[in-house]
Amino acid sequence: MGYQCAYDETFKIAIRQVINLLQAAPQGSWSLFIGRFHPLLVHLPIGILIVAFILEWLSRNKRLAFLGSSVLPILIFGAVSAIAACIAGYLLSLSGGYEESALDLHMWMGIGVAVIASALCILRRYSLFRKSWLWVSAAMILMLSAAGHLGGNLTHGEDYLTAAMPFGSRKAPVATIPNIEEAKVYDQLIKPILEQKCVSCHNAGKLKGGLRLDSMVHILKGGENGPVLKETMPESSELYKRLVLSDDDDKRMPPKGKPQLSPGQVELLYWWIEQGASTTAKVKDLRKSSRIELVLEGLQPASGPGNHPFMPKEEARIASAKDIDSLEMLGVKVMPVAAGNGFVMVNAINASGFNNKNAALLLPLKSQIVWLKLSNTAVGDSAMKILAQLPELTRLSLENTAITDAGLLELAKCKQLKYLNLVGTKVSDKGLLALQKNKGLQELFVYKTGVTAAVFKAFPDVRIDTGGYLVPVLETDTMVFRKVK
Amino acid sequence: MSEKLIREANERAAKYFSRRHFLQDCMAGIGATALGSLIGGCNIFSSSSPVAGMPQSLNPLEPKAPQFPARAKNVIYLHMAGAPSQLEMFDYKPDLQKLHNQLCPQSLLQGKKFAFIRGVPKMLGPQAKFQQYGESRAWVSDFMPHFSTMVDDVSFLKGVHTDQFNHGPAQLFMHTGSARLGRPSIGSWVTYGLGSENSNLPGFVVLTSGGKTPDAGKSVWGSGFLPSVYQGVQCRSKGDPVLYITDPEGMDRDMRYQSIQAINDVNKLEYEAFSDAETLSRISQYELAYKMQISVPGVMDIADEPEYIQEMYGTQPGKESFANNCLLARKLVEKGVRFVQLFDWGWDAHGTGEDTAVNLGMRNKCTQIDRPITALLKDLKQRGLLDETLVVWGGEFGRTPMQENREGQEMPFLGRDHHAEAFTMWMAGGGIRKGFTWGETDEIGFSVVKGKVAVHDIHATMLQQLGFDHEKLIYHFQGRPFRLTDVEGHVIHEILG
Repeated sequence: MGYQCAYDETFKIAIRQVINLLQAAPQGSWSLFIGRFHPLLVHLPIGILIVAFILEWLSRNKRLAFLGSSVLPILIFGAVSAIAACIAGYLLSLSGGYEESALDLHMWMGIGVAVIASALCILRRYSLFRKSWLWVSAAMILMLSAAGHLGGNLTHGEDYLTAAMPFGSRKAPVATIPNIEEAKVYDQLIKPILEQKCVSCHNAGKLKGGLRLDSMVHILKGGENGPVLKETMPESSELYKRLVLSDDDDKRMPPKGKPQLSPGQVELLYWWIEQGASTTAKVKDLRKSSRIELVLEGLQPASGPGNHPFMPKEEARIASAKDIDSLEMLGVKVMPVAAGNGFVMVNAINASGFNNKNAALLLPLKSQIVWLKLSNTAVGDSAMKILAQLPELTRLSLENTAITDAGLLELAKCKQLKYLNLVGTKVSDKGLLALQKNKGLQELFVYKTGVTAAVFKAFPDVRIDTGGYLVPVLETDTMVFRKVK
Repeated sequence: MSEKLIREANERAAKYFSRRHFLQDCMAGIGATALGSLIGGCNIFSSSSPVAGMPQSLNPLEPKAPQFPARAKNVIYLHMAGAPSQLEMFDYKPDLQKLHNQLCPQSLLQGKKFAFIRGVPKMLGPQAKFQQYGESRAWVSDFMPHFSTMVDDVSFLKGVHTDQFNHGPAQLFMHTGSARLGRPSIGSWVTYGLGSENSNLPGFVVLTSGGKTPDAGKSVWGSGFLPSVYQGVQCRSKGDPVLYITDPEGMDRDMRYQSIQAINDVNKLEYEAFSDAETLSRISQYELAYKMQISVPGVMDIADEPEYIQEMYGTQPGKESFANNCLLARKLVEKGVRFVQLFDWGWDAHGTGEDTAVNLGMRNKCTQIDRPITALLKDLKQRGLLDETLVVWGGEFGRTPMQENREGQEMPFLGRDHHAEAFTMWMAGGGIRKGFTWGETDEIGFSVVKGKVAVHDIHATMLQQLGFDHEKLIYHFQGRPFRLTDVEGHVIHEILG
């Protein structure tokens, strides 16, 4: 196995060198020049073939049947432009720098589109298989979309589209590290930089410059021009030197047009090499200059806005003054959780008379209320029907209110609820089980209620505090220490 | 900038004129001054705004939104005035024991200033037995047996340093961010930034125990150049919680209401004429004081707490005690008081007498705070309040690893001198990391070797948890923007949960 790998490696290096030699030949510049027209040409078949498909479809309608006659000429234009795009694309791919598996798929799909478009021309010209025309052109559009998408990914990176999605979970652009001192320098700081910015070309598949940066063994092995890393000497390590060459320098890495390292990432690499390029050292083990301290500080999670455990990720629109005033009239305080933030915290600390009927006033603010404090007020179970309609509610305090198990059934509808304070209420084990539906629940306070430890196992992920803590009496509590006479 | 200066100048002028006017034309006002901030007046039942008839934005104590969503809404600051010895409580130094009674090496003393140590002192080994506790394996001494059960809820800061080695300036520095008089205290900054939630109670309450108030005087809870409405209100745990809180004989509540109303009407005219912010302070203080006559006796009375809670804290009803104050602190926070500041006096363990020996008097002080602090943390926890309440514990500085040798003489008891270079503080709740220790001192606890934290860093961290960027909570005074952390301060990200 080991032999096989080593053999594969050397073979690949040899092949790559041959290709490199060929590419260095003068005619290469012509192919690259034509190749660079690929992004321009590729949009012609996309547009033209879509038009062909739309006309094909519309012509099914009897009143629009006359459109059918224009499909063939459009198809011919489309097929020709698709073939041209394929040729240019192939020439561009020779210049390298693309991830091979994705490139292959993109290429074959593109060729597929050109073939189908040409086949459709023939079918249309000789009026063969009339019934299949629409379906074949539909298949062609599907393939066209897939090829186009893959092409986009190749040029802009795989997360180009997903990173802009306004919904769903997104990958954090930079992973933050909660305890930077304990972080492993290579595994947690250096490797992610290489993976993010270097490995797309310097991997087992592409092996640009004969160099792999996907593991420490390969980094130490170096590339076709020798080692790239000299421990403790960043200034003479290619791994660092090439990062700081001028933009126009051919040797600059990553090459012009590719995602570059941030200044902080360059500083990290320099520091890591300077400190001996260890694969095991933790941040705390290495000597740190004040500059690198700053960079490291930046890697820690910021505890500003957006990082609050009880805040929704989205934003809310600012509540209307009228809705707020109707609560303020009762002495209930409605406040933005932060200046300029749409979400509000509502606190009835000055409104002990706040009751079930008043609770309806909360509804107009349902998309804004995240934190709600109704402790020591007159609300009871029927107010919980209202609270169940607050979709953003994450913190709810109901200490010393008349809520019972019946009310908890309603609260089970608050899907975002994370903190629930039921201290001094009449709830019991039975009612609490309804809250199993609140998947986000993290903290539950049930001191001075009927709840017992028996429910704990139903809530494996929730911190339930039944309180009743004591401070034991110790002998030393009453001892007074004096000079021994 | 010039606009701000002009506005400030106008305010100053207003203050000057209104004071003269007040004294010349309004003799009745002198009587009112005597009652001062203690009595107020507005109908408690008719208004949602703490000050009736005043637009809400004019009320200086109106609750305000922080700059970003806050992790903590309240603060309980436990200050041990006199500076407890970290070496007998949390900072375990076995190597210091080995050096016990040996002369201190010259290298440690060179260029250093001490309050009382002269010549070459001897090293003093830890006078307590230490053990590791909890999952976090934090070191706590046998002086704090109860507190040792709470280490997994706390973040220790073992590398705190200050630049003052005398009590007064160091306390001022710790509480106002400046060793000189005149700056607002942390509690004032916080109420200035966030206002007060409970319209019947002050936003910033101060409770003292230990027989004396801090050496730095009341400036440690003063409002400095901020409007005086933001200063701390000192309450007593013995006798009337606030002096003159009860109506004098012959004055019933209606009459009080009417007189306060009349005074406030005059003050409103005054404000319209001179636009002095201090007039607003005065109106809202009258108003608040009137409400406090009803609300304070209730909240400041610990007798309504059940027996088991009293036992848990170890309260001494009717007396002035740290335990009573801890229980009050919980009650106040429960009622929405923003900042509760506790001072406990008597920690200055120089070894001049039995009371100030680190192994005797200071151990007794530890016993006095051990149970109440543990009870406070547990009680906040079981009520779901610890999440939103930031608890801070510490002194104004630490104590030396050397035994004090006042005037170069041997002392009758074991004592330690003031030490500004390294001491321990801790924080809990309010989004602070649980069961963590940040910072390290050298083998003898003399200086910080890792995780050095300055006083301004503690302030920055406290403000951060309350939803403020400490660099952006600003007040303009004398043409200069001021902030609690002056031009310094870094948030201690390591201890944030």
